[in-house]
Amino acid sequence: MAKIIVRNLTKRYGDAVALDNISLEIGSGEFLVLLGPSGCGKTTLLRCLAGLETPDTGQIFLGEKKVFDGESKINIAPGKREVGMVFQSYALWPHLTVRDNLKFGLDVLNIPIKKANARLDKVLSDVGLSKFADRYPSELSGGQQQRVALARLLATEPNIFLMDEPLSNLDARLRMDMRVELKRFQAETNATTVYVTHDQTEAMTMSTQVVVMNNGKIEQVSAPQDLYRYPETTFVADFVGMPRINLIKLKEDSSNGTRYGNGEVSIDLGWSPGIREIVIGARPEDLILSQGDEAMGEEYEITAVMPNGPETFVQLARGNTAVLARADNDTKFKTSDIVHVGYNPKSINIYDTQTNSLVPYRGPK
Amino acid sequence: MSSRTSALFLTKRRTSDWVKDPVNFLLLILLFVLAYLILWPFLQLIIESLTWGEGDRRISREAIPGEFTWFHWLQATTGPISGKMLYGPLANTLKTGIIATTLALLVGGILAWCVVRSDMPGKSWLQPILTLPYIVPSFAVALSWEAVFRSPKVGGQPGLYEAVLGASPPEWISYGTFPISVTLAIHYFPFAYLLVAGALATIDSQMEEGALIAGAGRLMILRRITFPVVAPAFVAAFILTFGKTIGQFALPFLLGAPTQFHTVATMVYANLALGLESMAFVLAIILIAISLVSIWLSNRFVGKNSSRFETISGKGFRSRVIALGTWRWPIFLLVATFGFITGILPLILLGYQSIMLIDGFYDLSNMTSHFWLGKSNPEIAFGTPGVLHNNIILGATWNTLKLAFISAIIASIVGLIIAYIVVRRGDNPLAKILDQVAFIPFLFPTIAFGAMYLTLFAEPVGPIPALYGTFSLLVLISVVSRLPYSVKTGVMAVTQIGKELEEAAELTGASWGKRFRRIIIPLASPGVISGMMVSFVGVMRELSLIILLITPSTRVLMTVGFSYVEEGLTQLSNALVLIVAVLTIIGELVLLWFGKGKITRLREKHS
Repeated sequence: MAKIIVRNLTKRYGDAVALDNISLEIGSGEFLVLLGPSGCGKTTLLRCLAGLETPDTGQIFLGEKKVFDGESKINIAPGKREVGMVFQSYALWPHLTVRDNLKFGLDVLNIPIKKANARLDKVLSDVGLSKFADRYPSELSGGQQQRVALARLLATEPNIFLMDEPLSNLDARLRMDMRVELKRFQAETNATTVYVTHDQTEAMTMSTQVVVMNNGKIEQVSAPQDLYRYPETTFVADFVGMPRINLIKLKEDSSNGTRYGNGEVSIDLGWSPGIREIVIGARPEDLILSQGDEAMGEEYEITAVMPNGPETFVQLARGNTAVLARADNDTKFKTSDIVHVGYNPKSINIYDTQTNSLVPYRGPK
Repeated sequence: MSSRTSALFLTKRRTSDWVKDPVNFLLLILLFVLAYLILWPFLQLIIESLTWGEGDRRISREAIPGEFTWFHWLQATTGPISGKMLYGPLANTLKTGIIATTLALLVGGILAWCVVRSDMPGKSWLQPILTLPYIVPSFAVALSWEAVFRSPKVGGQPGLYEAVLGASPPEWISYGTFPISVTLAIHYFPFAYLLVAGALATIDSQMEEGALIAGAGRLMILRRITFPVVAPAFVAAFILTFGKTIGQFALPFLLGAPTQFHTVATMVYANLALGLESMAFVLAIILIAISLVSIWLSNRFVGKNSSRFETISGKGFRSRVIALGTWRWPIFLLVATFGFITGILPLILLGYQSIMLIDGFYDLSNMTSHFWLGKSNPEIAFGTPGVLHNNIILGATWNTLKLAFISAIIASIVGLIIAYIVVRRGDNPLAKILDQVAFIPFLFPTIAFGAMYLTLFAEPVGPIPALYGTFSLLVLISVVSRLPYSVKTGVMAVTQIGKELEEAAELTGASWGKRFRRIIIPLASPGVISGMMVSFVGVMRELSLIILLITPSTRVLMTVGFSYVEEGLTQLSNALVLIVAVLTIIGELVLLWFGKGKITRLREKHS
């Protein structure tokens, strides 16, 4: 229905750069999640798309329409961009009933009463709020308020959905249910959706594309599966994944270029990245622990064992180097045990310390 | 370039956005209008005080009307009459102001402690009674004082004191520093009480409990913990109350003028009555200067210490009441008696005075309903008919209600718009200036502010006709004098409305006007309407502000009451002031009822 194109967008607040030359293309019907820590610029980007913030330079296209251009001074008002938005606080008007909250936007569009009423009835029943049409927002539960916010967005039938952490005020269980429902509405309407969150599970489960942002810049754009498996920068590797990935800085050890170490840990990669200094990124589940099998790898001491339902995390140390590994939950490991740690060279990622970006795997297939 | 400067010196692209925003036009218009209504009159006041006036020909042969002169300033500060004109009244102003403020704070502070922190019984109905003296016009307190302590030595009929005791009261009780200070204190102690009670309510009693555990005694806690924490509020209350007392005109006039006891405020009036306008302006400027200095002092003290005394903490906040034990009922009786004497007795006295045929003669046979219901009778009160048949009074009542109503509405709406600009466009330096300009009327003692408007609009300016003597001028000054308060109420209301509520409307394409009407006004209305009622009551009982601007066609109840006092028609003036007092009390009751009203829904959650 509507593509979104962002070109070289920059937004400054005084000396702070909120958006640093952002370029991005979002395909029609895509569910794109902007993911990042607080202050990374994701909400600013969303608000620039809505027209609630004015960027300093760059261009924004929504569908066929150029809505912002820093050069030719085009800046279309938010109301004329045909976007709908769900705010983090829902921003429901407390003095209007649920029905009137939905109707406000239709009034502005001058939609005839009959048609408007029919549409309101449909939207209200779609989100399961028909019974609550005459209530005031403060008389509804958090989950119901969330639905009203969603219904208000659906009522005006925008081409583009913008959502700013819409689920962050709900409790964990309700959040899971609403994720499914949001996804359903997006699929039904096929509206291009831009969704801001700092919750990576939300990002992974809902999106078709994830954009990870940091310090006003885009770190990575990729499908959610790739994001976890092949983080392109150390920042993304570190930010995505719970518990965190093991990142260890190592120097080239020998002349053949495959062995790296830091004086405590020494690892043979099995291939040569050709760089003096690297950071290796190994997810806890990529490490294989064994008691007694010296061929697996170096010896580590277990410093903590942390059962967590289906799995158990094991904190390991070799000198001052600490790593976290995942073991099955029927593991017999105890604190102070000595284990040998192995890994599959293909599953760990290597980063260049100069650029902090991924060095593609070039080892044996 | 920082964002601050770029907002003012707009970059090229932003210019088009800036022009498209209707709020910016409102900002510029308001800034211009307020500058004209607040800054310009002050400037003119200064210019006039440095210019020969028409009336000056009588006092100096050198006078050339319209020419520059230091004459008035020299006359006031170093001339032979400077003692009588400036230094005497100045000393009286400071003396009565400081005594009254000290008394008001002492009484208000003790009462606040009793109500907020002790287990004194009957708090809920004592509280409104304790605020009564501030709700009724200050004039009412002074009139009832006079009713009791009037002395025939000065003229007129004897008061209640002499009628009962048979001897006239000593003059220092009837007129001068003592009665003025005491009546001012009675009028202003509720103001101090409210300020201190507010501060006391923020004390977390865990602080006191901490001291208790450390082994401190009750008095020590009060002295070492409680008092230091509320000290900034005390200082602020002192300065604010003092600032209000010095602008008081009617009260010191009533209890001082008969014995030639003048304050700066009454001197402004006296000079104007003599046609010595420039002299009056000099005194008005001096009054403003006192007010500015005191506010500056308060800001210096409170500003420096306020963060140190920050006590508001989110969690675990408790306020424990202190058990009075056997003193519970005696203290209650004391407070209740005090509340009765200061709040209710004056109104009863006013009522009783208004039904006496011959003033000061306390006997059943002397009672009459003439001053309320009677038609004109040449033998009584120079033929002035009773309140209900008196066209002047009925006209004044209508004028009073009209003035209070119109002013309150305009002040609230303009206040809300200014508040909106201040809150939502806070990054624009012009918005900050607007905020400050709107606050300035607070710094002007009311009678001085009235003096400023004497010259404003005396002649037509551009498209605006001359407004002197018109009802519009009264509305104008009432609105401007209420702005500091209505902006403050508006800021509180707008701050509570989340920015996203408006953005959600903006996304649907609603224009600014529509957003303001359909989102901002309804959501701000609970706060704004109660602010409107406060303004309504405030304008209704105002006398000092407009006494200089009133003409026969624009009379309001307070000024008619004042003129009856000047003519010696005691019963009628008492009746009138009683009417105003009752009207203001009704207004307060509506406010109280409204505050407890239904619109709580709007306040929930959306902060």
